[in-house]
Amino acid sequence: MLRKLVMALPVAALAAAFAAHAQPVEDPLEVLEGLIEQVDSDYLTQSEQNLILMADNPALWTVEDGEALFYEARGPNNVSLEECDFGKGPGVLEGAYAELPRYFEDTGRVMDLESRLVHCMITLQGFPEDDPAVSKRDGSDSDHMQLQTYIAYQSNGMPWNPPLDHPVEQAMRDAGEYIFYRRAGNMDFNCATCHTATGKRIRASVLPDKNIPEEWTKAVSWPAFRAGHDHVRSSQHRVRECLWQMRHAVPIGGSDATIALISYWTDLARGQPTVLPDVKR
Amino acid sequence: MKFKSMSRLAAGCAAGTIVLSLVACAGAEGGASNAEANKDYTQMSAAELGEYLVMESGSFHLDMPTQEGTTARERMSQDELQKVCSETRNRPSGEQAGQISAAARETIQYPEDGIQLGDWERGGELSWGGFGYRLSEDNYDDHTRRAPDGACYNCHAMSTERTGGTIGPSLTGYGKTRGDTEDTRRFVYEVIYNPHAYFPCSNMPRMGANGILDPQAIADIMAYLLHPESPVNQ
Repeated sequence: MLRKLVMALPVAALAAAFAAHAQPVEDPLEVLEGLIEQVDSDYLTQSEQNLILMADNPALWTVEDGEALFYEARGPNNVSLEECDFGKGPGVLEGAYAELPRYFEDTGRVMDLESRLVHCMITLQGFPEDDPAVSKRDGSDSDHMQLQTYIAYQSNGMPWNPPLDHPVEQAMRDAGEYIFYRRAGNMDFNCATCHTATGKRIRASVLPDKNIPEEWTKAVSWPAFRAGHDHVRSSQHRVRECLWQMRHAVPIGGSDATIALISYWTDLARGQPTVLPDVKR
Repeated sequence: MKFKSMSRLAAGCAAGTIVLSLVACAGAEGGASNAEANKDYTQMSAAELGEYLVMESGSFHLDMPTQEGTTARERMSQDELQKVCSETRNRPSGEQAGQISAAARETIQYPEDGIQLGDWERGGELSWGGFGYRLSEDNYDDHTRRAPDGACYNCHAMSTERTGGTIGPSLTGYGKTRGDTEDTRRFVYEVIYNPHAYFPCSNMPRMGANGILDPQAIADIMAYLLHPESPVNQ
């Protein structure tokens, strides 16, 4: 216990220093190594290859692509996304993603990063809903993945802190918890089947445990480069993939059920530093 | 409370009945259904809101056909066992557990010619494979091309040749330690068919009771577990 505390001190001090200046950490690997120092976790250390890969995380290229895209005047209105409000004011990206999902007055909804980006591309830039810039949400070559990864990177290393002050934020988080435990489908699965015990595996893959915040923060750190897919993937993609594996119904991207799940899973990682962009197998 | 900050269009929708506005407001921005815009989420319990989001809000493609000939709506509707196990987070009371295992026992149907072992080699393939029953717009498991697998290895270690999961207990050497007796066969058959007969609120799917595996597939997987020549028992 004492050892753990002593080990955790420099990391905690580091995190506090960054929080004070609201500066994202530049290297996601540094954040991950800090987590590994704090807990003995098979999930965090399962793949040496991933740790090696993180130094050259291909998602960092996606960040660069996203940066160019973010500041470019685009769409029928020929404006950049600089006026988009991700919750901390128009154009403020630092730490914004670590505080999503959140309630937005202008839409009357709790929104995650993806749905907020969709909103800004439509309302600010004037893109039609079916424009590929808006409708194509998957793959490292999509505008969405590039923009999401760039925006998320501005929160790297900062503690997850999704607000729960608004009653709808609390309601969505609690409904997300309910859905997490809701067994359904012909296989009777729920999210808890895989994510409520430490060190359990699906075949050779170690599963993250929602009860271990240091593990869970990596688990919910999306966008991440999926080595097996050779693409950067989003939170919404992860939700869809889990439901597919559970043999549940196909979710609609940005729907409230998906945002409720993301609200709950983000709340579980509260206070832990984000690893953005991450590398996953 | 949500109405205040809504757009004029959405507010107009909100004035209608839910059924009407579902039509009027469908296809709103971002592909997300705004049917939910008509509901005040803060007036519902977590369970009510959760059920609403899954079954009514337009968050899922519930009209998608399933491989078993139903729709995703039926897939996502909970039966009694799923409700109790969800509510209690897999820790049913003693009374609930008794009811669950009694009800599970009633679902079990036995082969007319007794519980036989099938082909252990095919059983091994079925145990390893993960194909079957997945729903997706672009990656739908088509059972006309390939029979569904058992996906046993996802959760269980079986033969030492392959790495299995650890969500369920290890079954390595199962037949070797238990023996291929009539009692063992019966127990294994019943657990595969409906594990809740023995383990109320088990994480394991009801492979027989829910029609995930046909009788031949169950017999083949049983052979993989119990046959002395199977790699499980080497």
